[in-house]
Amino acid sequence: MPSDSDLVTVPARARTSTTTRVAKVLGLLVLAGLVISFPSLAPDSFILSVGVVIASYAVLATSWNFVGGFTGYISLGHAAYSGLGGYGTALLITRADVNPWLAMVAAGVLVAAFAVPVGIASLRVRGASFVIVSIALVLILLLVFQSWGSFTGGSNGIRLPRPFGDDVLRPEQHERFFYLHAALLAVLLLCWWAIDRSRFGMGLKAIREDEDKAQSLGVPTFTYKLVVFVISAFFTALGGGMYALWFGFLDPIFQFSILVGSYMVLMSLLGGIRSLFGPLLGAVIVGYAMEFFKAQYGDTQAHLIAMGALLAIVVLFMPDGIIPALRGLVNRFRPQAASIREVSAAELAEQRRAAEDTGGSERGEKEEVRR
Amino acid sequence: MASEHLLELVDIEAGYGRAALVLRGLTVRVPPASVVCLVGPNGAGKSTVLKVASGMLPPRAGRILVGGEDVTRNSPQQMLRAGLSHVLQGHSVFKEMTVSENVLLGAYSLRDKAEIAERVDFVKTLFPVVADRWTSLAGALSGGQQKQVEFARSLMISPRVVLLDEPSMGLDPKATGTVFEQVVRMRDAGTAVLLVEQNARRALETADLGCVLDLGRVHISGPAADLLADPALGELYLGNRTAGRRQFSTPGADNT
Repeated sequence: MPSDSDLVTVPARARTSTTTRVAKVLGLLVLAGLVISFPSLAPDSFILSVGVVIASYAVLATSWNFVGGFTGYISLGHAAYSGLGGYGTALLITRADVNPWLAMVAAGVLVAAFAVPVGIASLRVRGASFVIVSIALVLILLLVFQSWGSFTGGSNGIRLPRPFGDDVLRPEQHERFFYLHAALLAVLLLCWWAIDRSRFGMGLKAIREDEDKAQSLGVPTFTYKLVVFVISAFFTALGGGMYALWFGFLDPIFQFSILVGSYMVLMSLLGGIRSLFGPLLGAVIVGYAMEFFKAQYGDTQAHLIAMGALLAIVVLFMPDGIIPALRGLVNRFRPQAASIREVSAAELAEQRRAAEDTGGSERGEKEEVRR
Repeated sequence: MASEHLLELVDIEAGYGRAALVLRGLTVRVPPASVVCLVGPNGAGKSTVLKVASGMLPPRAGRILVGGEDVTRNSPQQMLRAGLSHVLQGHSVFKEMTVSENVLLGAYSLRDKAEIAERVDFVKTLFPVVADRWTSLAGALSGGQQKQVEFARSLMISPRVVLLDEPSMGLDPKATGTVFEQVVRMRDAGTAVLLVEQNARRALETADLGCVLDLGRVHISGPAADLLADPALGELYLGNRTAGRRQFSTPGADNT
């Protein structure tokens, strides 16, 4: 349907997509620049260690988002996989004398294998039931790791040797682990991005919207959920293992804690579970806030209260997360965006006629903008 | 019996859970390139017929044949592969996904990229709104447009029979008109349609054949035009007089 308005709208659309692409590339470059320069910008070793903690949270939250973001299954028990990844790494190093990095990957693979039966059992139930099942596993693991002292170190915890040797000083160690976490995060983001654009990802998103409908269209829903659950557990375990190597000490009460799993959920929800960078943004905000409250008020429960308030604010005002909310805000100020105003019936009829003449391409563009 | 029918449901008995049967020995046959319409009061089992045909509700007795082949025990996915595509009641687009994703999900069981591209071109021609709004979020479309996206999605696998459950539900009269026009276009493009509709008169005007369901059985079937012309049916089912309906309502058997 070639018409005058087509000649106007098509280049406009092309321009928009080029602008968006340039903005995206620039944004990525800025982000990469910030990450690379952070260790040299950090004024002291403490801030650098906060950076490592935040990077670790970003890895865990992004790993969680493979299940939460794609399928909408909210797991509050992902601490099980980060804890097992950490303990697996520690035990392989201390008991079997495996190379630390190899131990980390091997622990990830073992946890992925462990996640297969867990997934088969837990992914049968949806909604609140799935949440409860996911929590149960963490509590079981906490008891096991606390009680089995002869193997796991029990409540006394377990100490890991430093992977870079004792002659590497603490700030240097922080810097290396910051970059390692950032590299792992980059791999995770790349995987999430690739799945998001794939046929597999399309099936997963259909599950998130309506599992029965997806199944009726021939999406192998159970297999897909299980695969992405195992991928998520694997990456979460890698994150847990890397944290263990950095921190050098594991205690079951912190490793198998409902709080750790809740943080992954809170961070992802805050940033936006449907966005690639949502969990990362959430991790930066929540991680920074937590460290701030701990530094200000010491080892009190103040940071927990703050986290609870933050979660309430997110659910009330930004149910889709910050990134979608910001996107909506930006679009509101774009010139093409539709605004509500009163029109007469005659004007409306005229607009309809015009819209029909252009074959709806203009409307299509407005919808794109609104996304 | 070498069948001249695409889809046959023979002596079907079906129900939900332990509750009483909803379908009690129902037989419906769909010839190629035709629109067959099921009408009847609420609770007659119209939607249940479609659920049985698409494999969502396994029948307790009876047989389902597609092109003469017995598919009675097929899973929903196998029914899809056998060529039965089900468009559910109400709005069943994936609202948070784009029109293109919605349509491509319809081709999920296909692997051949060339075939998928060909089907996309086909449904875009049949439903211009799909082509126009290809990159929009499906949830941003009007009800009638969403229905057309669902139709397009159901046609992606080149189905032999499309099962349409109340396509006019919640649509204004103009959009309803468009939807029924699209049903005719689907038939003219070679796809048979088994249609369930509350708007019985409008549906029978569109259909080739009609079946009147009551209490889980087909009471009368025949050319849709004849059913429309039958004054007794008009009184009972087409709203000419509503008092007669009471005796046909089935307690406990809902239309869902």
